[in-house]
Amino acid sequence: MKKTIMTAIFALFIIMMFSPITVYALDGNEILKQVDGNLNPESFEMYRKLINIEPDGTKKEFVMFSVKKGKEKIASVFLSPASEKGRSTLRIGENMWLYIPNVGKPLRITSLQSVTGGVFNNSDIMRVDYSAEYNCEKIETTDKGYTLYLKAKLKNVAYENVTMFLDSEKLLPHKIECYAASGMLIKNLYFKDIKDFGNGVVRPAVIETDSPLYKGYKSYIVFAKVKTKELADEIFSLNYMNKIDGLR
Amino acid sequence: MKQAFIIIAACFITLLFNSAAFSEKIDLDLDFEIEEVTKKPYSINADIEVKETIKFFDSDALLFKQKYLNTKKDNTFWQTDFDFTIEGQYQWNTITLYGRFNSLIYYNEDVDWESERKVEEAYITFQPSVSWAVDAGKKVHKWGKGYAFSPSAFFSRPKNIDDPDATLEGYYSLSTDYIKSMEGILQTIAVTPVFMPVNRDINHEIGPKNELIWGGKIYFFAFDTDIDFMFLISDNMDNRIGMDFSKNLSPSFEIHGDAALVQDYHQYIIDEYGNTSEQEYTAFNLLLGLRYLSSQDTTYILEYYRNGQGYSGQEYENYLAFIERGYDQYLNTSSKAAISKSKTYAAYYNQQAVMRDYLYLKVSQKDPFDILYFVPAITFIYNLDDKSVSITPQVTYSPLTNLTLDLKTGFLLRKSKTEYGEKINNAKILLSIKYYF
Repeated sequence: MKKTIMTAIFALFIIMMFSPITVYALDGNEILKQVDGNLNPESFEMYRKLINIEPDGTKKEFVMFSVKKGKEKIASVFLSPASEKGRSTLRIGENMWLYIPNVGKPLRITSLQSVTGGVFNNSDIMRVDYSAEYNCEKIETTDKGYTLYLKAKLKNVAYENVTMFLDSEKLLPHKIECYAASGMLIKNLYFKDIKDFGNGVVRPAVIETDSPLYKGYKSYIVFAKVKTKELADEIFSLNYMNKIDGLR
Repeated sequence: MKQAFIIIAACFITLLFNSAAFSEKIDLDLDFEIEEVTKKPYSINADIEVKETIKFFDSDALLFKQKYLNTKKDNTFWQTDFDFTIEGQYQWNTITLYGRFNSLIYYNEDVDWESERKVEEAYITFQPSVSWAVDAGKKVHKWGKGYAFSPSAFFSRPKNIDDPDATLEGYYSLSTDYIKSMEGILQTIAVTPVFMPVNRDINHEIGPKNELIWGGKIYFFAFDTDIDFMFLISDNMDNRIGMDFSKNLSPSFEIHGDAALVQDYHQYIIDEYGNTSEQEYTAFNLLLGLRYLSSQDTTYILEYYRNGQGYSGQEYENYLAFIERGYDQYLNTSSKAAISKSKTYAAYYNQQAVMRDYLYLKVSQKDPFDILYFVPAITFIYNLDDKSVSITPQVTYSPLTNLTLDLKTGFLLRKSKTEYGEKINNAKILLSIKYYF
């Protein structure tokens, strides 16, 4: 009997000793790369509708066609409304440009500005891979999945810290909290409506956002026709910004 | 045209305060098809703008006296504009046709009803691959990184400093774009040669003699920095070389600059007695600027502009002194000879930013008071040579999709014998309603 109890205590000790290691053995950065891979194919095109909703219920919509390649190259062109049509954006790493047909030349913009207004800023609209911008400093497991605590690799990012709540089976986020360097919560992103876009692309089709800085305002991004596509690197250059619509 | 102003102002105020009545209300069903996914080979867009401008003339200003002598009794100038722009595009395989046409009908007391029509751009693009594109036709080539000033924009018309974002009219040209991307420090290189013929049928506003102006631009993206080198070669115009750069130092801080050398630039000078002369020199133009976005969403654009082709403070003051002398001569003898002579030099002296050193500052605030798509701004242009100042407060509001309301005012801080001190008007108000469809 004594031997059995001792064996049980020893077994419990071993389990307790190694169970935290099991959690910390998870490589957060590797998981983050898998999340990126699930959200975005290596090289693809997509359509997105951005909807800004004001507290009084009025809304404004923008439709963009975007192409993304690798971890940190994304280019987009506005298809509607008429007042925005032809505007295009380009992001290579932390470099962002806006091309306005009237102005006729690309202008550098920053991640904190917003080409559409509303809660989404340029960093949200021209999102590159999270693993390109952030390191995972800590990972927690909960009964709902993983929580990744991300810290910016460089200073030139919109959010210093990001907390990503993941579905541990699908390795897709269902909520992301974005924080400033001061620790202030800037916005929440909610990932909804997981959809099969074909060719193995299964990802949330809707991102909803709210922000304590914009009380009563909400913004949505609705994804459509997300599909893999071979893209030349030359597409992601200033000289090509006025020709992105031609890729459709 | 006070009636027109009242009507436009009434529409402006109605749209400003009752936009909710016209706006699209929330009906949020996120499971929908995006209709723009289906691409048509053609697209057509247009916008119409109704604009009322009120200028408050300064009858003591020398440029007012030069233009009107003492014939104008009413010091308030009203102009109503109806501006219509339509653009269309048609794509067929590797060929794209693009055109943008503008029609302006306006009324003021000086000219009564007038109209202007112009083809702003009309060109064909042949793009056999993403790396290669050839454009032929009337096209705007906007080079340079400056916001208000562009010393290195060799193949385009000058910007309107009062509205740097305004659409420009292009020139007829043949140009090519070659883009090459690569791994490493140098990520992109792009080469853009441009050929611009000048004869009596096309581009004749550039010069009276037939010739082929040519030049080019080479772009590098390296070290997270945009760098361009450009040149222009001409038999009759001044040859030019230049460069520009821009770089983000942080997510909220960007710096940029343009520099250009204009070889054998001819400057035409008139002194206070009406004696004329010419000087030829190599002019150096420089622009250094920054763009900063504060945590409160306030954007600051600050630029220093050195206009090497401009006049010194003394040279410009001499021109104004000659106008004053000519006006006095007219009052004393009814002779318009001197004032008419001064007008022949107006093409050189009465331009925007005609002197040598300027500071430009634009401060704009996005969505203040939680009002989305509402942007108040104020612009200062400070002439460092004569210390005169132009101040332009402005509010832009887009209460509805495709609708923009713009209220702009302008004030000139007055000082005798200075650029902004002697402009025709000392204040102006501009009210505009623009609709895109």
